[in-house]
Amino acid sequence: MTIQVKFALYNAVSKALIILAFMTLLPILVERIVYEHIDKRLVARSERILLTVKRGSIADIVREQDCSFESYNILKEEFVAIYPITDPLKMNNGTQIRNETWSIEGEKLQHRIISRPFLYDNQMYELNIGEGISTIDELKSIIQRFLLVMMLGVILISLFIDLAFARLLLKPLNSIISTKLLPVPSPAYFNFTPIPSSTAEFNQLDNRINEMMHKLKDTFQIEKEFISNVSHELQTPISIIQNRLENIINEGNLSDELLIKLSDSQRTLNRMSRIIKALLLISKIENDQYLKQDTIGAIELMDEVLEEIEERLTEKNITLHKYFYDDYNIIECNRTLLFTMMTNLINNAIKYNKDGGSIDIYTRVKDGRFQIEIKDSGIGIEKQDINGIFDRFKRLNKNKADGYGLGLPLVKTIAGFHKIEIIVDSTPNEGTEFILILDFRC
Amino acid sequence: MNVLIVEDERSLSHEMEIYLSRQNLNCDVAFNGKSASDKIHANSYDFVLLDLGLPDMNGLDLLRESKKAGIESAFIVLTARSEVEDKITGLDLGADDYIAKPFSLAELHSRMQAILRRKHGLKSNVMSIHDFDIDIQNRTVHCKGNSINLTKKEFDLLHYLALHKNRVLTRIQLTEHIWGDVLEDDYESNYIDVHVKNLRKKLSAQSSVDWFETVRGVGYRVNA
Repeated sequence: MTIQVKFALYNAVSKALIILAFMTLLPILVERIVYEHIDKRLVARSERILLTVKRGSIADIVREQDCSFESYNILKEEFVAIYPITDPLKMNNGTQIRNETWSIEGEKLQHRIISRPFLYDNQMYELNIGEGISTIDELKSIIQRFLLVMMLGVILISLFIDLAFARLLLKPLNSIISTKLLPVPSPAYFNFTPIPSSTAEFNQLDNRINEMMHKLKDTFQIEKEFISNVSHELQTPISIIQNRLENIINEGNLSDELLIKLSDSQRTLNRMSRIIKALLLISKIENDQYLKQDTIGAIELMDEVLEEIEERLTEKNITLHKYFYDDYNIIECNRTLLFTMMTNLINNAIKYNKDGGSIDIYTRVKDGRFQIEIKDSGIGIEKQDINGIFDRFKRLNKNKADGYGLGLPLVKTIAGFHKIEIIVDSTPNEGTEFILILDFRC
Repeated sequence: MNVLIVEDERSLSHEMEIYLSRQNLNCDVAFNGKSASDKIHANSYDFVLLDLGLPDMNGLDLLRESKKAGIESAFIVLTARSEVEDKITGLDLGADDYIAKPFSLAELHSRMQAILRRKHGLKSNVMSIHDFDIDIQNRTVHCKGNSINLTKKEFDLLHYLALHKNRVLTRIQLTEHIWGDVLEDDYESNYIDVHVKNLRKKLSAQSSVDWFETVRGVGYRVNA
């Protein structure tokens, strides 16, 4: 989940919670406000009525109405009532405001009622003024609905604004990720362009990543130069010993035993020379010191390689099946390097094959891409070992002197140089398949 | 036949001198570009074996200068750098061949002979080993009028052994000659033995191959 999505989600959830809380509190708030309003009105009315009473108008009212008075409007939502208090124990002390169901002409209605006792003509009376509150619930739900719609609108708008802002804010981070943190084949492809940002943390991150990339690149460079220099410097002493051995072997009057020892030394020296050549070759490819100016057909290449080493098949009675279905012109390549790569791959297929086994070679277009498949019926590779086969000096059969562990690293380096993807599939005791996918879409 | 070895590494030029002298070649040695240039102009050499990394000048400049002056010697460029550009430039400047260090002296010698054949058109391009005639030009082998069908590698092997007849060629020397251009991860292979076995089989079907000797634990020798 990206930060942007997380931000948006957080914002949406937090706003929803605030609204939820607001919606819960809203009815109580509305009620309080409305009651306060009504109460004020009721108190003001009672004051006015009491004033009238004091002026003496009550005498008329009470006399007419059998010592008590009741009046209400048409919808019975408001009423005024005055009763004489006969039982002093029932008398309220001071003003009282309450909600009560008041029965007017047999119709029971919820009212907000103010009760005020007063003395008139040595008689205690109670003034009750009521106002219907059934409309309040209606009001509450209207306000709630209105607010809900408004809030949803606000949330939606703010969500879009949040998203846009997060996108803007995180743009430098996304740039850092897309330009610097995606896998590149080698430090030569590092991108050191600073990512502009007004956010301090992103600037810091970008600077640190650049620093680390520089360090890594330098280290790689030093390593490559070291390998290259060492290899060059070792060529001359090896040349001298090699030529001296040749001269000694040619002297002709040596014992058989000495001759064998010398030829063994020559073999050892040759091994050293080949290791150095391979390291030098890898480092030169990595330093882009090879030209890519050749064009060769895939089938032509395979035929050339096979012609070179086909005779080795007979030694192990290996049957070769060529399924050259499609051809592909490999342009801008280095023919010698591709030849070396294919030779090593096919040689591997021979070397690790069983006696009387087979090798199938396909050249074909599959899933829109041209590929060369080399499939052997050999000893195979354990699953946990597959990832390590391209590592330098890694030999899987440690008890078998079968090479110096630079064949497949060489293959990988040459493939990488030509942007050829290699897929390895293997089953122990059944065989291994190398699939080379050439950078090409049909 | 006169050869000038231009190589500043004295041990190396010394070994080359020993080997080539044994092949009845007259060797002269120069350790730097200046003395090499003097000698090239003063004497007439059939071959100049030129190291590119000279202490006082680039070997390629010496090559350019010599060719400009109309020197007719065959130049073989020797270099530890083995850079592709060096090879291309060297051959463009008129070098006859190019060989990367470390190289085998036998290989150097066979390259020199190939140049001689190319340059002077040797009277006979056919080498005879007992009953067998090896036609280098057409890459065929005949025995008493019968053509023997050899693979490319088998022919190269026989030719190389015949070229260095009466001398042991080790498996490494033969491997380097046959597959030297391709760098592969296989130093203990006995593919050379397989090729020799097949070659012997084909040759012995025509005539005796007693002259094709196996030097146990070392390599092979053609006695003639």
